[in-house]
Amino acid sequence: MPITVDELAKLIDHTRLKPETKRVKIQELCEEALTYEFASVCINPVHVEFAAELLSGSSVDVCVVIGFPLGATLTEVKAFEAREVVRKGATEVDMVINVGALRDKNYDFVRSDIREVVSAADGAIVKVILETGLLIDEEKRQGCIISKEAGAHFVKTSTGFGPMGATPYDVQLMRKAVGNKMGVKAAGGIRTFKDALRMINAGATRLGTSSGVSIVEGYRWAGYSDAWLEPDKPCWTCPSRQASLAKQPKEVYLWYKERCVTCPHRDENIFND
Amino acid sequence: MKDVQILWVSLRQQSAKEVPFSSDNYAKFLGGRGLGVKLLYDRVNPEIDPLSPDNLLIFAVGPLTATSVPTAGRFAVVTKSPLTGTIFDSNCGGYFGPQLRRAGFTAVVIEGRATSPVYLWINDDEIEFRSAEPVWGKEVSNTTDQLLDETDRKAQVACIGPAGENQVKLASIMNDKHRAAGRGGVGAVMGAKNLKAVVIQGTKKVTVSDEKQLDQVVSRVRRLLKKDSITNKSLPVYGTAVLVNLINEYGLLPTYNFQEGTFNDAEGVSGEKLLERIFVKRYHCFGCPIGCGRITRAYGEEGGGPEYETIWALGPQCGINDLEWIAAANNRCNELGLDTISLGSTIGCAMELVQKGNLDAQLSFGDTEGLIKLIDEIALAKGLGAELGEGSKILATRYNAPELAMQVKGLELPAYDPRGVQGHALASATSNRGGCHLRGYMIGPEILGSPVLVDRDRIEGKAGLVNLFQNLSAAMDSMILCRFTTFAFSVQDYADLVTAATDLSVNGKELLQIGERIWNLERLFNIREGFSAKDDCLPPRFSKPLPEGGSRNRIVHLEKMLLEYYRIRGWSSQGHPSKAKLKQLNIQ
Repeated sequence: MPITVDELAKLIDHTRLKPETKRVKIQELCEEALTYEFASVCINPVHVEFAAELLSGSSVDVCVVIGFPLGATLTEVKAFEAREVVRKGATEVDMVINVGALRDKNYDFVRSDIREVVSAADGAIVKVILETGLLIDEEKRQGCIISKEAGAHFVKTSTGFGPMGATPYDVQLMRKAVGNKMGVKAAGGIRTFKDALRMINAGATRLGTSSGVSIVEGYRWAGYSDAWLEPDKPCWTCPSRQASLAKQPKEVYLWYKERCVTCPHRDENIFND
Repeated sequence: MKDVQILWVSLRQQSAKEVPFSSDNYAKFLGGRGLGVKLLYDRVNPEIDPLSPDNLLIFAVGPLTATSVPTAGRFAVVTKSPLTGTIFDSNCGGYFGPQLRRAGFTAVVIEGRATSPVYLWINDDEIEFRSAEPVWGKEVSNTTDQLLDETDRKAQVACIGPAGENQVKLASIMNDKHRAAGRGGVGAVMGAKNLKAVVIQGTKKVTVSDEKQLDQVVSRVRRLLKKDSITNKSLPVYGTAVLVNLINEYGLLPTYNFQEGTFNDAEGVSGEKLLERIFVKRYHCFGCPIGCGRITRAYGEEGGGPEYETIWALGPQCGINDLEWIAAANNRCNELGLDTISLGSTIGCAMELVQKGNLDAQLSFGDTEGLIKLIDEIALAKGLGAELGEGSKILATRYNAPELAMQVKGLELPAYDPRGVQGHALASATSNRGGCHLRGYMIGPEILGSPVLVDRDRIEGKAGLVNLFQNLSAAMDSMILCRFTTFAFSVQDYADLVTAATDLSVNGKELLQIGERIWNLERLFNIREGFSAKDDCLPPRFSKPLPEGGSRNRIVHLEKMLLEYYRIRGWSSQGHPSKAKLKQLNIQ
């Protein structure tokens, strides 16, 4: 086993962001985070005080999403949200980048948008969600560089509500773009310990997932066979497989699919499993 | 650690005595399947006729039975199978197992043959042999009701129907009217012994080694069951029939006797349609929070099931798309005491024999006309039914097309085409009881992604995983817990449960070694019966690709996996356990 079960747990932001979430589920989330000693619970702003109270005095951080999930709100609103959730007990904020502005190459605006949140967070950890599924590689790289320049502590792949989840390919690209001193959080579609290990191998230092318990419990099986970690079909982890015309801008979708044609694994891309 | 008690019953002498199963053996084999395998290996002479009085029929429970552990209500029936000639354990849910344990026994071993039909009434320590003449010939529900009237309404009945009485090799043993120790013809062994039923009432308290520790572990594993999407969502909502659409999507749903892997009308026989059309309520076995069982209504009559495997066997396997008819046929099988998997598969085989011109009979894929009558004839061993009741291997051989029997070691394969799941193929070929999906449930990792998805087409690493799941399954069947718990528990959880409930202190690896010991002893039994590596094979059909669907162009790559499997097991290339392996496992 490349890392221990406990080490894996400490990398996980135990996440519950669905709109229908009841208070009892937030309580369950916090209790699980305490049991497994996850890094944090990742929640919507409305639950911040309740979670902070439940986790008070523990090693589990309270991580709250900002401008979520679209990132298209006003900078002032993002900053206000950040200030308020930190005041109410959040120690980490995950903000969504202004994706449209990034694609417009309006880098000054994007930088300022992030900088305002970093400032409002008042020392709390800030992670910037790029929503990689809406971007081509160059835009992802640019998003990473700007986030770093603006003083953010992490870049993060996805919201989990966008067109794609995290892929090792994107994590690797983001790690290369930000260097070794900044955090990279992989989030979206991480459901098994194998997904988790792939992200860690690609350079992730934090994992956002609503399957934290399942990942940790599943990882216990790894102690009984090495065969779990045999390679899978290459398409399984490729962002181009996840691309969807229904969910992505046409040019982004085609950018991903064009790569399939020249991929060295093209002949293996016959079935969709 | 104390010895556990076995009730040893001689039907010939109509006598019963308590004999100990030593603490040493209990530590090595636990209860359930492991206990049965050990007794059968030690006490049954090689090459006996499974339907002779010399065979043993063992009902066994394990150290977790009737405790607070979720799903700990199952029991195992261990015997030499008349269908396969191998050692065999058939596993059953319902409520019979806890009664046996509460009566103070870990197993009831039946030897000999009664001179006339009897049933055994175990009321705690009081053992009675009673005449079964009044219920001989009766179907399962009537038998159950009448025997409960004669004994105690709080008791539990494990009985055979007409199929078992007629020693049909597809006969099952039924509990709670619709739960079956279905496979391998265990009901025929019971019928051959002139034993219609075992009725048990147990009222003693079941104690565990460390109640507090067990409470803690149980609390944890209950939480895991609630957290897992399969055990908390898919199975409770749709039952096992949730698999129909999924397996069909993968092109693995055997159709027309495995000639195809996709059934065009799968939606019509799916778990979703079952919920919409015939669902009445859920059924929970003893101590089970999952509740995958279904009570359904077909043509105005309520019954238990059908499960996924039954829907497939009586449905796509025979080209049938009428869910209500399938439910009714399932009810008929339950009343007659027939294994729906082997029955449906054998009917499908007969349909293909007709299709290919080998057999002249009024049977065709997709046609339900006359099938209920045929099912009755199978149970009564009459006409063509008598031929089908021998199972597909003998049937297809009789009609000069042995390759059309979809079986391994004589046991009909279940509802997954091995061509699209290499690990499942290996697990099926090497199964000690023949074509079975539950010796090592590779559909979990290869299709359901539990505990993690592995590439179903890849052969590398599959031998190791099959080995792991076979060993764990053998241990689980000896505790005894339901296979569905593997979706939520890990190996260490099972070890923690055994440790808390018994005086044994085992970790995950030690638990797996218990399973490995059981597996190897089963292998030795089969070798003693003349089985060898050549029997670790699959029907030749699986060397030809499927024509279409999600698994098209795939074949099974058994040879490479098999050699690796033998190597990992510490067996020779001929599939014999090495002396060193047997020594390591402390098997004399």
